[in-house]
Amino acid sequence: MRTVCYLAHCLLNANAKVDEGARCAGIYSPVLALLRDRGCTIRQMPCPELAFAGTHRFWAVREQYDTPVYRAHCRRLAEPVAAQIRADLASGARVVLVGIDGSPSMGVELTAASPEWGGRPDKPRDEDYPVSLGTGLFVETLLDLLAGVVLDVRAVGIGQDLLDYDEPAELAKLEAMLGEGAGDAR
Amino acid sequence: MHGDGRSRRVVVVPDVVVNPPEGAHDRLSDLALSGWGVVALPPPDLPADVTHPLVAAAVEQVIALLDGGYEVALLPCAADPGMRRFVAALATSGRTVSDLA
Repeated sequence: MRTVCYLAHCLLNANAKVDEGARCAGIYSPVLALLRDRGCTIRQMPCPELAFAGTHRFWAVREQYDTPVYRAHCRRLAEPVAAQIRADLASGARVVLVGIDGSPSMGVELTAASPEWGGRPDKPRDEDYPVSLGTGLFVETLLDLLAGVVLDVRAVGIGQDLLDYDEPAELAKLEAMLGEGAGDAR
Repeated sequence: MHGDGRSRRVVVVPDVVVNPPEGAHDRLSDLALSGWGVVALPPPDLPADVTHPLVAAAVEQVIALLDGGYEVALLPCAADPGMRRFVAALATSGRTVSDLA
């Protein structure tokens, strides 16, 4: 069965990350190598924060982005992705969504959330980064748009935005999600 | 801005680079080794109502990168319909980017 992986934008372009958030120069090679090894088709999703807030944005939590305008922006970006995913599922492909755990937008199982963040940006990223269970705003929007087929989509978050990021553990999580014989053909 | 390990170099690539045909050279892995990030264009076989917003999103992201002072280049592939759409859409925004040397 063909496996199509929808990647968070920054996994192929770390330049989209918030300042101090890039864990590599550009393409995150460990994930690329794993997907190549498994013969997966790769799709890059748009980065909702890059176009919305630019490259000079501060790091933020979900509540700071959670406005009607940002949600509409996420929806506009997610609609064509959802259409692609539906088409892939209809063709018999397995679809794996690969987000970024700890991200306010791209988190799958973990996001960054706090009602306390706001005003002067005086929160060091390495202190009290408020991670909590939940999805990021873009991923939430995308999954909503996939109503009816969402149970057919596997989703996993690579914890690149977590302070205790553990690369081998995160890659093992992705590998497990891909399962055996992930991509037999393109 | 404190900086990190990012290259500040991004190349726009057609889908065939992200998903090369079996047996073809893997240019995406080459780009990874040389530190480029990529903005990947959609595959050419999508309907227009899916392709157009995806290309528009790619344009918006490239503009954000250019405005941030990042180097952005195109992987030359004039035959790719997604790349042609991207270049045309970028031009309507008054921006241009050069081919990767």
